Amino acid sequence: MWRLEDYRVVFVAVGLVGVLLFAVPSLALVVHLPGGERFSELWVLGSGHMAEGYPYNVRAGESYQVYVGVGNHLGGSAYYLVQAKLRNWSEALPDGSVPSPVAATGKMRGFVADGQSWEGAVSFGFGGVAFEGNTCRVGVFRVNGVAFQVDKTADLNGTEYAFEVFWELWLYNRSEGMFDYHGRYVALWLNMTAPPE
Amino acid sequence: MRWWVNILAVLAVVCLVFSVPFGLAVGAAEAAVAVSDADTALRGAFDAVLDAEAAGANVSAVLVSLGWAGGNLTLAEGAFQGGDYAGAVAAADACSALAGAAAGEADGLRVNAVAAAGLWWQTVAFSVVGACVFVVVLALVWRWLRRVYGRRIVASRPEVLA
Repeated sequence: MWRLEDYRVVFVAVGLVGVLLFAVPSLALVVHLPGGERFSELWVLGSGHMAEGYPYNVRAGESYQVYVGVGNHLGGSAYYLVQAKLRNWSEALPDGSVPSPVAATGKMRGFVADGQSWEGAVSFGFGGVAFEGNTCRVGVFRVNGVAFQVDKTADLNGTEYAFEVFWELWLYNRSEGMFDYHGRYVALWLNMTAPPE
Repeated sequence: MRWWVNILAVLAVVCLVFSVPFGLAVGAAEAAVAVSDADTALRGAFDAVLDAEAAGANVSAVLVSLGWAGGNLTLAEGAFQGGDYAGAVAAADACSALAGAAAGEADGLRVNAVAAAGLWWQTVAFSVVGACVFVVVLALVWRWLRRVYGRRIVASRPEVLA
């Protein structure tokens, strides 16, 4: 036969468990577990939706496709702006939290819930390409069918005329009502080639 | 005099024909305003989504609508860049309409979420009252058990083993 003390222990245990069970719904409303690190992802994939098959040797009149994606881990919904830019060796890339001074050529917008990602197809091409001596001049940069006058030049470096297309990630800042550069960019080096004769 | 009338009539028709495109054409300034308005509408709609989300609403469906609106704004900017001002205005207007609908939807979600927040007090009340009732019932059972246990102890007699 159990002693009275044994019954007391059982009652106290049942009482604690019962109170805890009744408190669970309220605790779920009040207690919020701390989230992990808050950040955004930015990536570029090749035409096969893989991290391969990126365009490199490009030429005027052709169209090239990649996919640019954004992942949101900021703890809430986010409004992203992805700006495409084209530069040559002499022009600056983004530096930390400072965006590149190169003018944007094409934008994409993504509204992404926390923990979700968004991906958009980007086609780009070149026009007004001229080779003069050891210099290649690009007059037009087309992004998703929209032509932008760029007038970029690249000197022959070895056997290549190098241009870099890159995408900057901007984040909508509600308190300021504008977009801030989010400190992320992805880039692809391209070698401009002459069309076959 | 009649031939003067004919010439005037022809001139009037020519002027009318040439003036119609200018009257209907969309200028760059008008297109720029439409694109800017669409951009503002889209930001406002996203602000409404953030408010709804802060109130506890599930905004994933509205984000999809905003994605469509954002696509139209990108189209509008592209058309504007390409000099297609009529196309820019059309896409910008579509963006504004979608953004307005999304803002309305988000506002409805926010109102519902705020109303649902009233359940918060019900939940807390359930926890507090439920826990108190449970403890009282348990105490009463404990008192009864202790009484029964005491009676049994008193009533029990030592057995004498031969």
